[in-house]
Amino acid sequence: MSQDTPHRPLSPHLQIWRWHITMLSSILHRVTGSANVAGLIMVAAWLVCLAMGREAYTVFLSLAASPLGLLIWFGLSLSGFVHLTGGLRHLIWDMGLGFTPKNADTLTFWTLVLGVVLTLGFWALLFFCGKVSL
Amino acid sequence: MSTNRDVGAKSVKSWKVSEHHGAAEWLAERFTALALIPLTLWSAWSALKIAGGGFDAALAFVKAPVNAAVIGLTALICVWHMYMGLKVIIEDYIAGPLRGFLIFLVFLLSAVLLVATLGALYFVHQGA
Repeated sequence: MSQDTPHRPLSPHLQIWRWHITMLSSILHRVTGSANVAGLIMVAAWLVCLAMGREAYTVFLSLAASPLGLLIWFGLSLSGFVHLTGGLRHLIWDMGLGFTPKNADTLTFWTLVLGVVLTLGFWALLFFCGKVSL
Repeated sequence: MSTNRDVGAKSVKSWKVSEHHGAAEWLAERFTALALIPLTLWSAWSALKIAGGGFDAALAFVKAPVNAAVIGLTALICVWHMYMGLKVIIEDYIAGPLRGFLIFLVFLLSAVLLVATLGALYFVHQGA
């Protein structure tokens, strides 16, 4: 700690607080947001391989459509959808709505559920329409 | 006590600065978030359409001018949103000279992602 820093009390941190759902989702929003960077890099790689031609794209597909590739895409899509619905929640809060603890908890619960449901629906469509297979 | 007063003076100074640009960044975060709701849903829908179609389906999709425009717009807003989000996370947890360096790295990553996606779109349409 540098000399200029005055002695101020430290706030209690993660180990102190009892976990609750709005705290979980707040942390999750940062985690999923960071994970989405990997998703963005993957999509950029997809586009670059497409521009490079058929051979490069085939190499990309052999990796992206492999079981491990699909598992990674599944994780990335889960992160994306959870961040999307989490973002919706933040926009609702930014309008000044749903701020009582009970409403905040309910809203958070349902946005988390919606994120998971969107992900499962997305992959159900991919599999049932025969777009991907293991 | 004098150091305390310095810290106070410093925060008043930074408050005076953020008074002029703080709201713009806050609004940019919200507007990019709003724009990304339809754009990411469109992306997910597009992924559903071209998945399993191989090279030809993907190329035909990206060659359609409207799709290329929306992909470019999505990339631009995504990268902008990513830059602001990562910057906030770094500012919250990292202090000292490392902070500026990490933000610079995020800026580099943003630039690389933009050049890669917009460049790829350009090349796909050059080959038309």
